[in-house]
Amino acid sequence: MTPQPPDPATGDTAADGPATDDTAADGTPAEGTGTHDTTAHNPTAHDTPAVELLGITKEFPGTLANDRVDLTVRRGEIHALMGENGAGKSTLMSVLYGMLRPDAGTVRVEGREAGFASPGDAMAAGLGMVHQSFKLFDSLTVAENVVYRAEPRRFGFVDRAAARRRVAELAEAHGLHVDPDARVGDLPVGVRQRVEILKLLHRGARTLILDEPTAVLTPAEADALFAVLRSLTDEGRTVILVTHKLREVMEGSDNVTVLRDGRVVARLRTADTSPDEIAAAMTGRAVELDRIHPPGTPGDDVLTVDGLSTDGVHDAQLTVRAGEIVGIAGVAGNGQSELIEALAGLRPVTAGQVGLSGRDITHASAARRRLAGLAYVPEDRHAVGTAPAASVADNLAMGHHRTSLSRKGVLPPKAVREHARGLVERFGVKASSPQVAASALSGGNLQKLLIGRELAHDAPLLLVEQPTRGVDIGAVQNIHDQLIAYRDAGHAVLLVSAELSEIRGLADRVLVMYEGRIVASYPKDEADERTLGLAMAGAAPTHSVEGA
Amino acid sequence: MATTPTATASPAARVLRSPVFFSVVAAVAIGALFLIGTGADPLAAYGAVLTGSLGSDGIGSTLTTGTSVLGMALALAIPLRAGLINLGGDGQLVLGGIAAAAVGLYSPLPAPLTTALAVLAGMAAGALYAALAALCDIKFGVPLLVSSLLLSYPAASLASYLVRYPLKEPGSSLPQTPRLPEGVELPAFGTSTVTLGLVLVALAAVAYYLVDARTAVGYEMRMTGLNSRFTAYAGVRRGPQTLRLMAVSGALAGLVGSVGVLSFPFRFLDGSLTAPGYTWTGLTAALLAAAAPLGTVLASFFFAVLQVGGLSMERTTEVPRELTQVLQAIVIVFLAARLRITWRRRKGDVKA
Repeated sequence: MTPQPPDPATGDTAADGPATDDTAADGTPAEGTGTHDTTAHNPTAHDTPAVELLGITKEFPGTLANDRVDLTVRRGEIHALMGENGAGKSTLMSVLYGMLRPDAGTVRVEGREAGFASPGDAMAAGLGMVHQSFKLFDSLTVAENVVYRAEPRRFGFVDRAAARRRVAELAEAHGLHVDPDARVGDLPVGVRQRVEILKLLHRGARTLILDEPTAVLTPAEADALFAVLRSLTDEGRTVILVTHKLREVMEGSDNVTVLRDGRVVARLRTADTSPDEIAAAMTGRAVELDRIHPPGTPGDDVLTVDGLSTDGVHDAQLTVRAGEIVGIAGVAGNGQSELIEALAGLRPVTAGQVGLSGRDITHASAARRRLAGLAYVPEDRHAVGTAPAASVADNLAMGHHRTSLSRKGVLPPKAVREHARGLVERFGVKASSPQVAASALSGGNLQKLLIGRELAHDAPLLLVEQPTRGVDIGAVQNIHDQLIAYRDAGHAVLLVSAELSEIRGLADRVLVMYEGRIVASYPKDEADERTLGLAMAGAAPTHSVEGA
Repeated sequence: MATTPTATASPAARVLRSPVFFSVVAAVAIGALFLIGTGADPLAAYGAVLTGSLGSDGIGSTLTTGTSVLGMALALAIPLRAGLINLGGDGQLVLGGIAAAAVGLYSPLPAPLTTALAVLAGMAAGALYAALAALCDIKFGVPLLVSSLLLSYPAASLASYLVRYPLKEPGSSLPQTPRLPEGVELPAFGTSTVTLGLVLVALAAVAYYLVDARTAVGYEMRMTGLNSRFTAYAGVRRGPQTLRLMAVSGALAGLVGSVGVLSFPFRFLDGSLTAPGYTWTGLTAALLAAAAPLGTVLASFFFAVLQVGGLSMERTTEVPRELTQVLQAIVIVFLAARLRITWRRRKGDVKA
């Protein structure tokens, strides 16, 4: 068991109850602020802030999600709200958007005090939010989605022509090119996001809140999005960007507020700061960002995939050798998940051959593949990779429960506990005890648990999907080091990631998937962001993509 | 069990804090209000329930009822532990009973062997029939909930037909089989109605406890119940698992059926196995305990006490036995709200 420092937040509240508006206490704002504390505490009379949150405190059972948080967003700026998972960003935005009631504190929108009881109230006051998972009707058209619940009417009926005109005008005015008659279900994700933004503009939102807007976009789409956001702020609207991606904050924002453990730890002007400073504020220590690991020394073929097709994947060709990491880049939804699921035995293969260490596993069951030497870290750690309601120990036992932990089918609880203690220690999972439910772990710790469990199989082949999605910067480094160490121990790793920096940092070779096909293959030194970005958008030079 | 967030608290504190305990206490309190409202004395009524079910006159009856309730509760808890609901308990129970009766009547073996064979036949009949429901789910995509429930009706009808025609007791006006031959019965304890059946069901409970807590199969069962995609990802095949769990479930229901035939009245009487509603009481007990082994035993005993004590209360006081059904219902209603209650309690803990 790793020693865990007592949670200061919990102890704190137990002692002094609901917070007062005494913001200066506890050294908030803390490190990293320095001289460029420009936005806070100096609201000027002639320039009312678009949004002002003062002393917001929100407590959940066991955690103080927001602790006297002040946030001032000036009109016409792009303000980035940053912080690791659990830092309190979502809570703060939910308070602003009327989805949560704060225990203490004041919300002011355009100078008027506002205590929204519902998102509807917030919308009426000129706020609008694009959630990370879009809230659109796939079977309806763009125009129908945009005007939903704010339809132009004529004689009491929805005026479809007016709706289409309105959407076309809005799209034209803001450079959000989209066909009003297209069905949302047929549109790529980047375009759906435009529909979400149009929806807000149609309702007259003056302040737009975007939650992790680029998670699903190619680099080029992300650039286009920022151009749109910039044009919106130029006409006087305000954008609040909730994100953990340093690059786009540096490129696209005016000011940054960083939260850690529910408190504001830094208010920075983007022009005066650096990614390292923001990362340090987010984690509370210096972090090395985007390290490019040295390449490995490949040995024999471990995984050979020849012409594999399945639902969503066409004719995939690839090889992964011992001692190398092969990365698969691509925008989400281009067949990566399907390919990995087919390799893991969770999706039937319709054509082609799959070999693992020289054995044909094309039609083998998931259990048989694991016996043949495959471990797998799936993309969705809550729904697939773990049982959150089960204990940490039970989660760590999965897959080991029929091999190393049991004899003749008897699985002693003691063996399960000992196994869990060992892995928790080895992989630095922060859990108060192996008996607590896995749902009590943070995203990063749950991922460490999952990766640790799979690495512990010592299988020749490891499939990893999105190893650091939603994981704190601090934990990212640890996970990357684990994967590199696993490779250097002579194992083959097939890595799927939506983060280009991750692929570039880890992979010895990079394959790019687009519309279900592997469209390009680059050695490590040729896989720069621009080249990969083009290939991810389907614009790869049509050259040979042999697995070599 | 493992799902309680307060895993570190002492066992006593956990029991006191558990939503089950809370529900039972709340039900008793609300039941008392009902009693006062109708002018009855709640202490007398509850006293009658307890003395009637746990006193020297009632305990035998409680254990006999408890045998059937616990048997059915286990039958439903085992698949429920893996997230499967077997609604076909009645059908499996009845087929077990009729199979045991047929073997008991026609086996040429000596009486003790015939008895053992009858028990096994009852279990096999229940297991096969439950497996059929599982196959409908696995092979044809009929949800288990539906297939098990619907298959229950033809099973009951088949048994009805058999005791009215081929297996009917000659000369009787009742739809029942002849009495089993002398000696073909489960040995009883002393002069009571409690038989070896109680021991068999208790052994099943112990086995369930051990498999659940200490074997790889039990581990897979628990994990599947918590997240079936998780176990599928790790290579557990859902189909065979469903088939096996349902077969065990049906075997236990069949066991209850054969125990019902091999003890008083020593014959299969149409409707007598299903009329007391053991399947539904058992399902309620299994749900109340969230299928945890120990909890299932306790809940079954609790319901047996209510059922037997209710009858006794009706005899000795003016209170109708339906009160005990009201209590059962209130327990369930409170449990349905268990999430909210636990959430509030946890919040209270933090502030305290």
